[in-house]
Amino acid sequence: MNIILIFIAATIVNNIVLTYFLGICPFLGVSSKIESAVGMGLAATFVMTLAATVTWLIYHNILVRFNVPFLEYVSFILVIASLVQIVEMFIRKFSPDLYRALGIYLPLITTNCAILGLTLFMVLREYNFLESIVFGFGSGVGFTLVLLIMAGIREELEFADVPEAFKGAPLTLIISGLLALAFMGFSGIISTS
Amino acid sequence: MNIIVISTIAMGGLGLFFSVILAISNRKLYVKEDPRIEHVLEALPGANCGACGNASCHDLAQKIVKGEAEANDCPVGGSEVAENIANILGIESKEVITKIAIVHCGASEEIRKKKALYIGGQTCKVADIVGGEIACSYGCFGYGDCVDVCLFDAIEMEEGLPVVDLVKCTGCGQCVVACPRNIISLELFDKTKLTATITIACNNPDKGAVVRKICEVGCIGCNLCERNCGDGSFYMDEMLAKIDYSKVYNCEHWDVVMEKCPTNTIKRLVKEEKVLV
Repeated sequence: MNIILIFIAATIVNNIVLTYFLGICPFLGVSSKIESAVGMGLAATFVMTLAATVTWLIYHNILVRFNVPFLEYVSFILVIASLVQIVEMFIRKFSPDLYRALGIYLPLITTNCAILGLTLFMVLREYNFLESIVFGFGSGVGFTLVLLIMAGIREELEFADVPEAFKGAPLTLIISGLLALAFMGFSGIISTS
Repeated sequence: MNIIVISTIAMGGLGLFFSVILAISNRKLYVKEDPRIEHVLEALPGANCGACGNASCHDLAQKIVKGEAEANDCPVGGSEVAENIANILGIESKEVITKIAIVHCGASEEIRKKKALYIGGQTCKVADIVGGEIACSYGCFGYGDCVDVCLFDAIEMEEGLPVVDLVKCTGCGQCVVACPRNIISLELFDKTKLTATITIACNNPDKGAVVRKICEVGCIGCNLCERNCGDGSFYMDEMLAKIDYSKVYNCEHWDVVMEKCPTNTIKRLVKEEKVLV
């Protein structure tokens, strides 16, 4: 039961983009087309799940055992950077079009605070192994979901008559704020520590 | 053990572990790309306009290096780019045929007759779907979809009609695609005969009487242009006159034909002598 609650919390209630405001960079940068948004979301979800798994193992089996828990920041970043490199190589080989569509935003997943944030949350909230995996996966799903919503809205807006001052980033930021407000409606449905 | 030593060993160990994994995956997932593709890509204009028929300049570069496309396939780059690419690949360079966009409507904002009041999306694309307010169903709306899509700033709206800058236009064809009424066409272009660049400024193939009611500068299909010019530079397509741009630059008396047109439909695209830089 706890696993399901964690998943729903990570996806909707405490959405990593709209509630914690992490991962805004790819959110604004890749959400103008649905195809690239989906690609980015899937890549990020994969990295998040794998990062949560590997970092949990490293934290509990190496850092805690040898009494060096303060190394979590450095080692987590190392893990995340390597994982993103592998995902990048993978995408470059099997989908060159997606690779070019994502462009610079693919290596930027490394510095994406959402991933480091979720690994640090996992340590802070003292999740066990299974809970960490579900939390990572749920955050990824929530990230993809919000990216998709934003891409859909922005594709529709292409035919709208937007005032000159608002075109592009300003309107996107306003919409993000409204989306965040909307998602606040979910708070209180589930309470997680 | 000293905490510093432990930290060093832990981080060093992790670093080594992941370096090995990365080295292995690099070997396994290696993508071999011919280095010439990068050079050809640099030589291309990089506008990703689609005029060559490929989705991006990168696609064309790949095809050229593989031999599936010609070095002179990029109409936007012109002869200079074709030569550069030919040099990179070590082959003979060929001439690039220049084309430019020609506009076939002469009904400016004052002349065009309206049949309704349109308060919809102010783009040509949307207006065409709904029907729009212009009486002529082949005529220019003037909302400027062609201007928005031009990557080279070569087209501007003047009095509600698009005007193409013959120097800046690269013949990429984006405006042709953007116009929902097919008013713009890509035609052969002779740079040395700028002032001789003319157009039949009408797109309406309906019968003369019908056209006359909705536009005072529309082509009525009287055939005078074809008859006055003997060499086939002007020809009729249904009740609409058209120009054969492979012949008209050699026609000696196109200005006579222009004068004889009863509805003043034939327009010159360049008003004074302009020197191409």
